[in-house]
Amino acid sequence: MAAGVSALLVVLYITGGVVSGLRGTANLVVAPFSWAIDAVAKPIGHMLSGSVNYSDVVAQNQKLRYQLGQAQLRANEGWALARQLQEMTTSLNVPFIGSLPTVSAQVTAISPTNFAATIDISKGRDNGVLVGMPVVANGGLIGAVVATTPHGATVRLITDVNSSIGVTYGTSSTSLVISGEGVNNGLGATAVPLNTSLNPGTLLFTDGLSGALFPPGIPVATVSRVTLTPGAATFNLSLKPVADLAHVMYLDVVLWEPST
Amino acid sequence: MRRALVPITLVTLALVGVQLSIFSSLRFSGVVVMIVWLWPLVVGLAGLTSLSIWTAVISGVFFDTHSMSPFGLTAVVGVALAYSASRLGKEGVGDLDSAAWWVTPAIAAVGGFLAPVLYVVGGFFELSFSLGKSSLVQTMVVNALAFAVLSRPLSRVARLAGGFAARARR
Repeated sequence: MAAGVSALLVVLYITGGVVSGLRGTANLVVAPFSWAIDAVAKPIGHMLSGSVNYSDVVAQNQKLRYQLGQAQLRANEGWALARQLQEMTTSLNVPFIGSLPTVSAQVTAISPTNFAATIDISKGRDNGVLVGMPVVANGGLIGAVVATTPHGATVRLITDVNSSIGVTYGTSSTSLVISGEGVNNGLGATAVPLNTSLNPGTLLFTDGLSGALFPPGIPVATVSRVTLTPGAATFNLSLKPVADLAHVMYLDVVLWEPST
Repeated sequence: MRRALVPITLVTLALVGVQLSIFSSLRFSGVVVMIVWLWPLVVGLAGLTSLSIWTAVISGVFFDTHSMSPFGLTAVVGVALAYSASRLGKEGVGDLDSAAWWVTPAIAAVGGFLAPVLYVVGGFFELSFSLGKSSLVQTMVVNALAFAVLSRPLSRVARLAGGFAARARR
């Protein structure tokens, strides 16, 4: 018995760590229960929510068509500018997000817990997705890949409490570190020097400093509130992610590794 | 106990599936209701100490394999809830037949209120110091309310699944 358990642990360890092995084994055990429950519950849920929210769906569809038109217009206008920027950044030897290859993926699951902001996606190692790669969607950075399997990956969202991102803003050379504040709480930055000119609405984007976890120029968040403490030499920021993290269905994994 | 082990384990796995497929996506005020903590608690209230701890371990471990939170912590919190509830269950507190109707929901609500705090405190021992940055109070309140509402139906399921053990004891 003990020898069998030891052999199993060794096999699990060799094939990607004990926890990773346990995750895979447990997934196999629970999967049939989840599939059965999904097969029954999802159609009923969709039918109920469809019948209750039909007018919302129509309104949302019209709004999306309008936004798609706007996006197409902006894409046409931005094409020439993007080309110019790419040429400039290439000549300066700085990576540019528009020139980096991406892999499109679909969100397959959201974090099942209150204490970790993660999502699972449909592309993994077999598609070139590696740990550390940035993930973008809905017009901004949404997170980074933290675990991969051959056909899937887990992305830690920027609002996760363990997430930290180096950002800058405008034409400033000042860099800040912002961090996630939990699933429902957006992002924040503490101890920001008073001489930093940040106001509500200021857009923050990745700074791409040497050794940074993300390439430069990806929009991350906007300042939603500046909190000043009387007598303090610093202030705190509350930030709202640029991307709508609650409604991410499709996303792009940027094939860029922090070490490159 | 052995006769009830199979039905209890199957119900536990099914509830982990319900947790992952339904309750984890059906958020209330952005909060996930943790059925995987309520289930060991109600099994404990049925007076089945060993089975409640078993369900806590099984549901916690299987749940944690699907989450990027500290591995095993959900199981540890579940075991703490299960053991405390089973102490009460052994004394007949929270029994569906003999106690007042509100006792089981009240105990479950206290469990749901304290479980997220136990999780955050437990996180310190796994060197996860930032778990408390999440919406802790919101999580406590929503889970307390949900546990109160769901405790009686789940207690019936626990009694049904654990019925083999009760009959074996008699």
